[in-house]
Amino acid sequence: MALSLRSDVRIVWQTLSSIKTGVVLIILVVIFSAAGTVILQRPMTDPDDMARAYSPAMLRVLDAVGLTDVFHARWFVALMILVSLCIIAASVERFPNASRFFARPYKSPDQNFRRVLPLQASISIRDEEQGLGAAERVLRKHGFKSERIVRTDSFSLFSERHRISEMAVYMVHASLLLIFLGGIIDALVGWRGFLMLTPGKATNQIEMKTGVTRTLPFSIRCDAAGEETYTDGTPKRYWSKLAVVDNGQEISRKEIVVNDPLVYQGVRFYQASYGRTGKLDQLVLNVTPAKGGATQQISLTMNEAVALDPETKVQIVEFIPDFVVQDGQVYARSNDVVNPAVHIIVTSQKSNTVINYWLPEISGIAENASSPYILEPKDLKTGVFTGLEVSHEPGQWAVWAGVVLMAIGLTFVFYVIHMRLWVVPLQNGNGSLVLWIGGSANRNRDAFEEKFKVLVEELTKELKALSVPVPEKQAASIAGR
Amino acid sequence: MTLVIMVGISIAFLLFMAFLNVVKSGNVINEANLLYAALVFYAGAGALYLGFGVTGTDSYIKFASLATWAGLIVNTAAVAHRWYEAGHPPFASLYEMLLSFVWTLAALTLIAEKRYGVKVIGTVTMPVAIVGVVLMQLLRSEVRPLVPALQSTWLHVHVSLAMLAYAACALSFALAMMFLIQDKMKTESFLAVTSIFTAGIYTAVLTRFEGWGGFNVVAWDLENKQEVFISRGVRLFVTIPDLGWLMLLVFAAVIAPLVLYLLSAFRKDETLLSIANRAVFISILLQTLALVFFLLRTRDGRYSSLDAEGFYPTSLAASPFILSALVSGIFANLLYLLLLWRREDLERLLPSSDNLDRITYKTICIAFPLLTLMIAAGAFWANRAWGSYWNWDPKETWAAITWLVYAGYLHMRITRGWRGRRAAYFAILGFAIVMFTFFGVTYLLPGLHAYA
Repeated sequence: MALSLRSDVRIVWQTLSSIKTGVVLIILVVIFSAAGTVILQRPMTDPDDMARAYSPAMLRVLDAVGLTDVFHARWFVALMILVSLCIIAASVERFPNASRFFARPYKSPDQNFRRVLPLQASISIRDEEQGLGAAERVLRKHGFKSERIVRTDSFSLFSERHRISEMAVYMVHASLLLIFLGGIIDALVGWRGFLMLTPGKATNQIEMKTGVTRTLPFSIRCDAAGEETYTDGTPKRYWSKLAVVDNGQEISRKEIVVNDPLVYQGVRFYQASYGRTGKLDQLVLNVTPAKGGATQQISLTMNEAVALDPETKVQIVEFIPDFVVQDGQVYARSNDVVNPAVHIIVTSQKSNTVINYWLPEISGIAENASSPYILEPKDLKTGVFTGLEVSHEPGQWAVWAGVVLMAIGLTFVFYVIHMRLWVVPLQNGNGSLVLWIGGSANRNRDAFEEKFKVLVEELTKELKALSVPVPEKQAASIAGR
Repeated sequence: MTLVIMVGISIAFLLFMAFLNVVKSGNVINEANLLYAALVFYAGAGALYLGFGVTGTDSYIKFASLATWAGLIVNTAAVAHRWYEAGHPPFASLYEMLLSFVWTLAALTLIAEKRYGVKVIGTVTMPVAIVGVVLMQLLRSEVRPLVPALQSTWLHVHVSLAMLAYAACALSFALAMMFLIQDKMKTESFLAVTSIFTAGIYTAVLTRFEGWGGFNVVAWDLENKQEVFISRGVRLFVTIPDLGWLMLLVFAAVIAPLVLYLLSAFRKDETLLSIANRAVFISILLQTLALVFFLLRTRDGRYSSLDAEGFYPTSLAASPFILSALVSGIFANLLYLLLLWRREDLERLLPSSDNLDRITYKTICIAFPLLTLMIAAGAFWANRAWGSYWNWDPKETWAAITWLVYAGYLHMRITRGWRGRRAAYFAILGFAIVMFTFFGVTYLLPGLHAYA
C-alpha cells in the first residue's frame, strides 16, 4: 500500500515536471484567456449589454461555468496554481543536475569525454610545458583565465567563462513564480475602490468594487481640483491637491495628476475622473438699488444670507444647473451646468416682504420687478468633484522583483554563454606528443565554433613560432560538431 | 537592366512632378512630401526586389537596396519632423505607430540583407511598407495633443519596445517562410496555405454583405475627417450597391483553388493541381478587379444607409481594414505565383535552410526579451496610470498570449530539440498572434487600450 502510494506520488510528480504537461497547460491558459477577451466579462460590462449580447439560457450557462468572469473564476485560479506547480516541479527535477554542473565544474576531461566531445582539435607539440604555456598565453589574450589542473595521472588546463549562465533558466522560472506570488498576494489581501471628493472635504470611506465600504485608518482631504484643456478643447491635465490626515494631523500634501498617484501606507490614490457636481459654489452679483444709487458687488454661497442694507437681505435658496419650465414650475433636466438658474430670496424687514428673485428672470414665477434691488449676475462658479481610484496592492513588490529578475535571467539565457575550454597534452597513438584542445558552449554554438577555430589557429601559429624548426609538420585537424 | 532604368526613370519622374507642385505651394519640407518621397522610393525598391525575385538578376539588388536606403533616409526625416512638430516620439496614434513601424521595417530589411545576406526579404517587406505608407495617407494625420493618460515617459518606452518586438517577430516570420521554401516544402502546401488565408480574408470581407448584393462600409464625415457615429461607439454603415455580388464572385474564385487542391490531394490527381494553379491566376485578376471597384466606389458618390435617412459619403479612410485585407490577399497570391514560377531561383538565392533556421531562432531570441520588457513596461505604466499593473484588458491578455506562444516555442526548441519545419510553423503561428494583438484586438476587442 505504502509502496503504491509512493509510486502514485512519483507518477504525479513526473507528470507535473514533464515538458509535455507544461506545454498542455500553456495551451489551456492561452485558450481560456483568449475566451476571456472574446466573451463579454462581468464586472466591466453592463448587465444590460450582457443581456443584449447573449440569450438568457446562454448567459446562464456562461455564468455557471464562470466564462463571464474568466480571470477571477476558481478554475482559472486553479489552472494558474497548476502552472506554478508545474514550473516548480520541472525546475526542482532538473535543478540538481544543473547545480552539480554549476558547483562542481568538470575540469579534467577523461578519455571518453575527449572522444565524444564534438568540438576538438589536436596540435603536435614538442614539450608539454611549452605547449601549455603557449595555450595559456593565447587564452589570456582572448579573455579566458585558465587554471592548471594537476591530477595524479594527468596535467592539463581548464578555462571557462560565464558559468552563471547554467543557472539562468532557474532565474527566469523563479521570477515567474515571484510574479505569480505577487498576483496571489494581491488577489488575497489587495483591494480596489473608488472615492469621490469635493474640494474642502475629507473622508476615510472608500467604496469598494464589490459594493461594500471600507474605512481607512487615515483620511484624505481634497484641497482643490481642476482641469486644463488644450486650445482645441481636448483635456490636457486633471489635477487634485490632496492631503493625508492621520490622527487629526496633516501628514503630507501632494498634487496628483493622471500618471502620478499619491501613495501613503501602501494605499495609492489615482486621479481617475473629474467633473462638475452641478452644485453652486459661488455666485458674484452686481447689486444696484432699484431707485438708483451706487452699485456694489457681493458674492454669495448657497443658503448664506448677505445683508445689502440694515433692512434687506439676500439669500440663494435654489440652484438648478439645467433648468426647464413646465406648467409654471421649474424643473432640473440634468446635473450638467448647461442652462443654470438661481433662485434668490430678497427679504425686506421694513415692509416684511419676501421676494422670489430668479436669475435669469422666469416669467410667471419670478418677482424680480418688485425687488428693491436689481441683481445682475457677474460670475458663477459651480462645484467640482474629483474621482479617485484607490488601490492597495502589496503584492506588486514581488511582481516588480520578479520582472527585474526575469530581465536579468533572460539576458543570461539568451546572451551570456557558458564557454568551457580544456587543453590536455597527450601521447598520440604513434607515440608523438600532441596538445588536445576541446571546447563546449551551452548555446549559440556556431559563434563559439568560430571563436574556437580562431583560438586553435592562433595557438598553432604561436607553437610554430616557438619551435622553429618544426620537427615534424602535422596539420592541425579541426573536427566540427 | 531595363527594369532598373524604368524604375529609375519613374522615380525621377514622380519626384520631379511632385517637386514642381511643391515648389508652387512654397512649402518643400513637410511631412506629407517626405512621406510621398518615401513612398516613391519604397515602391521603386519593391519593384526592383520583385524583379530580382522573378529574374534573379543580381544587379537589381544593389539598386533595390539603394532605393531602400533613400526611402529610409526620407522616412527618418519624416519621423524626425513629426517628432519635432508633435513634441513627442511618434507613438501616440495609429498614424504615428505606422510611421514608426514602416521605419523599423525598412531598417530591418537593410540589416537582414547586409548582415545576414537574406537578399529577397525586400520582396516581402517592401510591399508591406508600401501598404503602410498608403494607409497612412488615409488616417488622421494632424498632430493631436496627448490626452492625460498618455503623458508619460513610459509611453515611449512601452511603445518603442513593442515596435521593436513586433518588427523582430515579423522578421522571424519572413525567415520561417523562406526556410519552408528552402526546406523543399511542397508547392501545393503553400497553395493550400495561401488559399486558406485568402478565403479567410474574403469570408471576413463578406460579413459586410447586405441584402441584394450590397456591401456595407462605414460612412465618412468628409469635413471632420472621421467616421460617422449614430451614437457613442456605434458607427453608421452605408451600403454600396452591387459591390457585394462582386465580392461574392471573388470569394468563389478564391475558394476554387482550395477545392481543387483538396480534390487533387484526395484523388491524387496531378492535373487538378495544374488547374488549381491556373485558378489562382484567375482569382488574382478578379481580386484586382474587386480592389479597383472598391477603390472607385468608395471614393465618390453618396450611398443610402439602412440605419438613417438620406445619403452619406464614404471614403477609403473609413475602411482601412477592408483595404489592407484586399491588398494582402492579392499580395499573398502573387507571392505564391512567384514561388511557383521561380522556385529553383529562389532556392539558389536564399541562404541554406540550416542558416535560415538558425537566424529565425536568433530573431526570436531577440523578440522574446523585447516582448517581456514591453509587457513589463506596460504593467509598470498601467500601475501608475490606471491603478493596477494587470487589468486583464484584451490587449494585455493577448500580449500575454503572444508571450506564452513564444515561450512555448523556446521550450520546444531548447528542451525538445525542435528544429526545422516544426519550429518554422511555430514562428509563423507566433507572428499571426502578434498581428492579431496589434490590429485585431484594437478593432475587434476594444478595452482600455482604446487609443492604439
